[in-house]
Amino acid sequence: MSNGANYQDLARRYGFAPKLESASRLTQLVARQDSDVDEIVKVIDKDPALRKRLLRVANPDAENEVEYSVETVEEALMRHGVGCAMVLAMGTPLAMALVKTFQTMLSSTLESIDRNQAEALEGEHLLGTIEFSGKVVGHVYLRMSLDSARRIAAGILGLPPEELSSNDEIKDTAGELLNIMTGNFKSNLCDAGLDCKLHPPRVSISTDLQTPTPPGGGLERMAFRSDKMQLFVDVAANPWNDD
Amino acid sequence: MATKILSVDDSRTIRLIVGKAFRPYDVQMCEAANGEEGLAAAAREKPDLIILDVTMPVMDGVTMLTKLKEDAALKAIPVIMLTAESGRDNVLQIAKIGVRDYLVKPFKEDQLIEKAGRIVSLQKKAAAPAAPAAPAPVAPAAA
Repeated sequence: MSNGANYQDLARRYGFAPKLESASRLTQLVARQDSDVDEIVKVIDKDPALRKRLLRVANPDAENEVEYSVETVEEALMRHGVGCAMVLAMGTPLAMALVKTFQTMLSSTLESIDRNQAEALEGEHLLGTIEFSGKVVGHVYLRMSLDSARRIAAGILGLPPEELSSNDEIKDTAGELLNIMTGNFKSNLCDAGLDCKLHPPRVSISTDLQTPTPPGGGLERMAFRSDKMQLFVDVAANPWNDD
Repeated sequence: MATKILSVDDSRTIRLIVGKAFRPYDVQMCEAANGEEGLAAAAREKPDLIILDVTMPVMDGVTMLTKLKEDAALKAIPVIMLTAESGRDNVLQIAKIGVRDYLVKPFKEDQLIEKAGRIVSLQKKAAAPAAPAAPAPVAPAAA
């Protein structure tokens, strides 16, 4: 039925949500190894949310904006390389998919919060990781308390939390949440020519709070809050993998 | 006769959500956890509609769709892709093989019902007959 149809026609026919222009544009720019830094600066500067996130990535040790030593987009890119803009480009569709999943499947509003405002995770928690490889390599890490994980699984499955019979259901739901989040950013990366493959998610109960950054890569650490739940998402990636 | 729908997804969560969405309708659900199991279930059950994920272990959804369309006995079964991946190449490749619709995760149950309802007949289950009214309490006889 669709031989000859182009992507825009199909996206309209299937009712796809429009993609965020700034994130798509940024991905396309960053995907070109010879891209002009000025163009990247312009795209980020036009989007206040992207700008804020880039400066947060460029000042990983600062508790708040007053402590920022890197204050402009240009300076951030000069110091940390275009790789940190790539992490931003990846984090945007990922964060949007997570927020949309909460809206559509849990009827709940998830807001992005400053990592420093979040209540720190301690002890045993649920850790989900998904690896991607190809022209971009890295991992996405999803962490939440066991109580949050139970509430989310119950909400998505439409059950009271006490009716979840095993940790397997909780882990399966967390794995699917990771699949949904990363499926969206994979599409953006592939559309920009950065083909990559997603590996099956791994979900475990862990005490490990460390997120390793790949050599030469970038790391964005995000936090989200909804009702009594907090979620922590880290994206660690190294673009332009030539393997 | 109930409409038969096959859900092929490696995530039990998604299979449960899909099953829950169709619960109010006269639908017989069957499930498979990967493309290989999905093909076997399609041949065995001859469903009226297949709801198919893309990324799955053993055999992915694109391979299953290709094999389904190559099989004269199965190629007419309509397929809705249900996936988190909506990248250009993926969508164009899948559309070329032949699908009736495409739904991107996360999704609302209503969206799935609407898309499925355009392809197969979805009849609401008849309401269960009301239980007979309890007899009125009898006033205790005066002593």
